[in-house]
Amino acid sequence: MKPAKSVIELWLWGGPSQLETFDPKPDAPVDYNNGLKAIPTNVKGMTVHQWWPELAKCGHLYSLIRSMTHPHFGHETATYLMQTGRNPGGGDVYPAIGAVIAMMKEKEYSGDLPPFVILTSAKGRFSEVGFLGDRYAPLVTGGNPTQARFVVDGIVPPGGLSHEEIARRFDLLSAVDTFRTDAKGVFDDFDAAGTAARKIIEGSAAKTFDLAQETPETRDRYGRTWIGQTLLAARRLVEYGVPYITVNMSGWDSHKRHFETMERRTADTDRALAALLTDLDARKLLDTTVVWVSGEFGRTTKIDRDPPWNGGRNHYPRCFSALVAGGGFKGGCVVGESDATASKVVKRPVTPVDFLGSIYERCGIDPDGPMPNNAGKKLTILPPQSKDGGRLREIYKS
Amino acid sequence: MKISRRGFIGSTAAFAGTAAAALDVPNGSAKKAPKGAAKPQPKKPKSVPLPPEPPLYETADGRATPSVMCRRVYLDLAGRIPTKEEAMAFAAKPDVKALVDKLLAADSFADYWSMRFCDILRVKSEFPINLWPNAVYVYHRRIRDFVKRDERWDRFARALLTATGSDFRDAEANFIRATARRTSDGYAEAAALTFLGWEWKDVPEAMRKELAGYFSGVRIKNTREWKEEIVLIEGRDRRAEFADRMLGEWRHDFVGAFVKRVAWWMLGRKEADPEHVKTFVDGGMRLRPLVRSIVLSPEYARGSVKGGFKLRRLDAEVLDDAICSLTDAKRDYQSIAPEPFTFLPKDRRSILIEDGSITNAFLLLFGRPARDTGLLSERHNEVTAKQRLYLFNSGKLFANLGRIVDGKEYRRQKMAAIIEDLYWKFLARAPQRAETKRLLDNLATRKTGRERWRFPRDVAWALLNSREFLFQH
Repeated sequence: MKPAKSVIELWLWGGPSQLETFDPKPDAPVDYNNGLKAIPTNVKGMTVHQWWPELAKCGHLYSLIRSMTHPHFGHETATYLMQTGRNPGGGDVYPAIGAVIAMMKEKEYSGDLPPFVILTSAKGRFSEVGFLGDRYAPLVTGGNPTQARFVVDGIVPPGGLSHEEIARRFDLLSAVDTFRTDAKGVFDDFDAAGTAARKIIEGSAAKTFDLAQETPETRDRYGRTWIGQTLLAARRLVEYGVPYITVNMSGWDSHKRHFETMERRTADTDRALAALLTDLDARKLLDTTVVWVSGEFGRTTKIDRDPPWNGGRNHYPRCFSALVAGGGFKGGCVVGESDATASKVVKRPVTPVDFLGSIYERCGIDPDGPMPNNAGKKLTILPPQSKDGGRLREIYKS
Repeated sequence: MKISRRGFIGSTAAFAGTAAAALDVPNGSAKKAPKGAAKPQPKKPKSVPLPPEPPLYETADGRATPSVMCRRVYLDLAGRIPTKEEAMAFAAKPDVKALVDKLLAADSFADYWSMRFCDILRVKSEFPINLWPNAVYVYHRRIRDFVKRDERWDRFARALLTATGSDFRDAEANFIRATARRTSDGYAEAAALTFLGWEWKDVPEAMRKELAGYFSGVRIKNTREWKEEIVLIEGRDRRAEFADRMLGEWRHDFVGAFVKRVAWWMLGRKEADPEHVKTFVDGGMRLRPLVRSIVLSPEYARGSVKGGFKLRRLDAEVLDDAICSLTDAKRDYQSIAPEPFTFLPKDRRSILIEDGSITNAFLLLFGRPARDTGLLSERHNEVTAKQRLYLFNSGKLFANLGRIVDGKEYRRQKMAAIIEDLYWKFLARAPQRAETKRLLDNLATRKTGRERWRFPRDVAWALLNSREFLFQH
């Protein structure tokens, strides 16, 4: 199996409930499942929650992990762990997996767009790039893919300029920008950055964000929703060759009115995610693209019906679930098992380190290998995998 | 809007025709100009060679020209580029000493330099420092007072090291709290770096233990007040012993660490010149005498073309402030710092943001330090493709540039006057004749009204994207 070329991370900000996603418990008391059901997928023995009917049709394309576990109850610390594989503290601020993969894949990637792209806004509460420095910082697109034109500020020149007009503008810049120095190397990165930026402006990179190039049928298939059009943009970025694409989807922190929120959220996401997986598969891109879906943790399993929650679920990291597909991961498998109410891992725990380590491995990166850093420290990309679980080797395609 | 458009097209068209004749004095070829120009235009007074222009960036012996010095000093002492009026006033009377004394006494010096000290003291409310908002403001104010009152660094350092009490009330106690690792080891690491310039990775194991021993009694406890924490001592407080050694046995490193940072900020090199050290010590370990002597030193007055003055890209905050003040733009601060949420007015200058956790996309893009470690290397002043892409192409920025040139001020102005005005505003100097000509030549290649109308804005855009604007030179 060749290493995966690209990764799409669908980050469900806030911590989606394991019960209403990939670890439904139809036989649990109503105080846990609210009377909602599981549905079978097209893979025998694998179920998803009833709110994921489209995903149920393509279970052979992805695997579910029902035994994710870590100890952090706060968004920031849990996100940091899920993104870097490190516990917060200790003085070093580690980079997120996206920045690391961007760095490790930089040599084999020849595109003009930066190797790490975030749709459409950054996580914000922590620095994705850690100590790696700005070079591997993500391009954060901004903009809204559901609008008639997905405007990625900085990629497309403003004001609808023609090629000639753009050229005249750059002529004007060279007329103005005449400062030079005898000091060696001072403007090297300035000049290289200018060349790279102009390539993006004048080349085909900008078209990657032009969703109008897709057929209306394709756009409909993903759904004309934020998540639908954003995942479509993510697929176009994979086609372009970008090594790491993060889709940050907010709105999963359902302390209050949990079920109303989840029903709305899952409807859009189910359709979009199923469309992405089947589309990647049809385009023969799935084998070279890892898709992973998770948040920073899951949610408490007993429904909190008292005010002010009125039917809510709170933060819960001890047992939650994730989805992984493509890029050399098998489909149609369930890894690990939780107890009758999805409150405790009972079989094959998977830590964030194990999980991220598996993605690194499938991308051809050794998670125990050295992590480059400016401080001259001897660091590894990840801490050692856990002894009782370890990386997800059972779902690696050989 | 329409009126102003017409105004531009009219004036530029009228001007473009005669521009070359009036302004063409490229690179010392002044002798040629009268020959060609004099014959067909009898009405015109006989062309005389225009006097040679003074050097643009530096003199023949490698010293910075007054306009360069003016911009340099404003950037270092006030954290901003000079306004057109300030630049013109200095050009009329280029007295560096007077300018330095004026700027050292101004509030902006305290504002900008407290930002720098907050970088090395790790003033941020969130992960991994977790000072929390209230403490950030209390601590920031104390640090600003240190700069504003020009307090002695040795006394301030001792106070920070030995303080106890509530993070809300005893500002100096926040030094201990502003550490990513709240252990005796972590406090020692922070103290060694901040005051002695020792990076933990270079400190031998035995020394680490010894240093950590001075902080073994330090504890931090919560109170019943939300996010209030108390720094207290259990057992013996040995921190004063650390301070004694710091100002005694390790004095050389203590002074050196301070002087090196100032030299890095102002001269771009991390070295403690004996002369600077002497100035600092003789000045009572105060910041201002050191800064003043550096600005007035021959090294600082070198040019950056051949003279060897280190060029560096403007700090993220300074660049943001420069662009926003030139375009009258409003900022979008992200204040998703932990509760209580902080909201900043949209016209708040970036160098005034107290909290390292409050940021915006621009500051992130241009490498503002995360304030996680206090290392100077946390600030990234390199230039990346994403930054240049933003400056080339941002729609918001381009719209804001329109504000400068589409306003009343420029209506019916001659294009050369508009160019001159923009040069003063962006670069703190007048354009040279050859520069104006090159720009007007570009205008002459523009055929459509729309493109001609866009010319002034494109000039502003080009100035903004130039080396001369983006770098301190």
